[in-house]
Amino acid sequence: MSKLHVSIVTPETTTFDQEADSLVVTLFDGEAGILANHAPMIGRLAPGELRISAGGQNHHFYVEGGFVQVLDNKVSVITGNSIDATKIDAAAARKVLAETQIAADDKSEIVEMKNKAMAQARAQIRIAEHA
Amino acid sequence: MANARKLDKRRKSIRNIRKITRTMELIATARFKKAMDRAAAATDYTRRITQVVSDLSAAGLEVSHPLLEPRPDPKKATLLVLTANRGLCGGYNGNALRLALNRRNEMVDKQNIATTVDASGKRGITGLKFRKVDVSNGFTQFDDQPKYSEVESIANQYLEQFITGEIDRLDVVYTRFISVAKQETVVETLLPLGQLTDGLAPAATEAKSEQQAIYEFVPSAASILEEVVPTSFKVKLFKCFLDAAVSEQIARMVAMKNATKSASDMIKSLSLTYNRARQSQITGEIMEIIGGVEAMKS
Repeated sequence: MSKLHVSIVTPETTTFDQEADSLVVTLFDGEAGILANHAPMIGRLAPGELRISAGGQNHHFYVEGGFVQVLDNKVSVITGNSIDATKIDAAAARKVLAETQIAADDKSEIVEMKNKAMAQARAQIRIAEHA
Repeated sequence: MANARKLDKRRKSIRNIRKITRTMELIATARFKKAMDRAAAATDYTRRITQVVSDLSAAGLEVSHPLLEPRPDPKKATLLVLTANRGLCGGYNGNALRLALNRRNEMVDKQNIATTVDASGKRGITGLKFRKVDVSNGFTQFDDQPKYSEVESIANQYLEQFITGEIDRLDVVYTRFISVAKQETVVETLLPLGQLTDGLAPAATEAKSEQQAIYEFVPSAASILEEVVPTSFKVKLFKCFLDAAVSEQIARMVAMKNATKSASDMIKSLSLTYNRARQSQITGEIMEIIGGVEAMKS
């Protein structure tokens, strides 16, 4: 069976870069699984979980939005930030969530930014509880 | 002839200075390597983003976005100056400041643009204040390893200002890293973005143009573009910060190397004078003793 080459790239580092059997990404409207020989695709990611299974081993990551690009069995996850699920600071995420929930501003841009921060914090907490 | 003991004291203190400058040089070298690694990682990211953009345009999509459109008659602009938090790095801060001031004067006097100046780095903030330029936003949290999340929050502020029309242009003054031997202080206009692909990695786009794949866009190419454009702005800004950090360490490395060399030269010439002074002192003493002995004989 052919394999996928998965790399998770952030502006600071490359978090993950190796062969894998399959992965599940959180797209903007729900999860999507990617196996080998997937058609070329560019997808928009939502803050959420990224699961990679490689040789019977599972890797969990939190990914903060961005894109996924699939081409020739190469998967690039391009994201602003990604954290290993075991290293998520759930307490910090909860704090952010609580802070962003308090004041709802009337300016639409700020609301949008807050919603984004909230979604990111929620996703982090969810993944942390799973792991 | 100067006092030998005084000369010796001076020589000792210069030796200490040399020790310090050499240590600083070593520290700068280590930091430069770290900063370089980060810059390399960012290049990987920009390459992939550029590829997504080129794939999007290959899909026949008209690349248009409010951030890309030039504004014909800019009224308000922001100039962001990237300098170091610390001095002792040769002309690094001075060059950035000089260029920033020239640019600012040009924008205010000739083009009639109301310009606000933001600065990163303590040296830049104090330097601008000294030259009677108001700094509206000063950032001092950036060190030799700027964090993406910190740059991102600044980038978001600029994006918001640009979209709401508070600014029509964003220029960044920073020291671009070309190679270890060459860095250049430049002004770059980051908002409006203009071409998406330029400046990031033109070579990668060319290489990719041979093999075209038909992509499936989820949810749609337009929606992805909407996300790609702000992201590439953020990455460009981040790259500016990284370049500035790398260049700073190189500048410091070179400055400290020169300082160490000058200290060594000075020690050498002081040693010569010291030895001569000591010798003449000894000669003088011997003469005195001989004179004394001669006096006793008679």
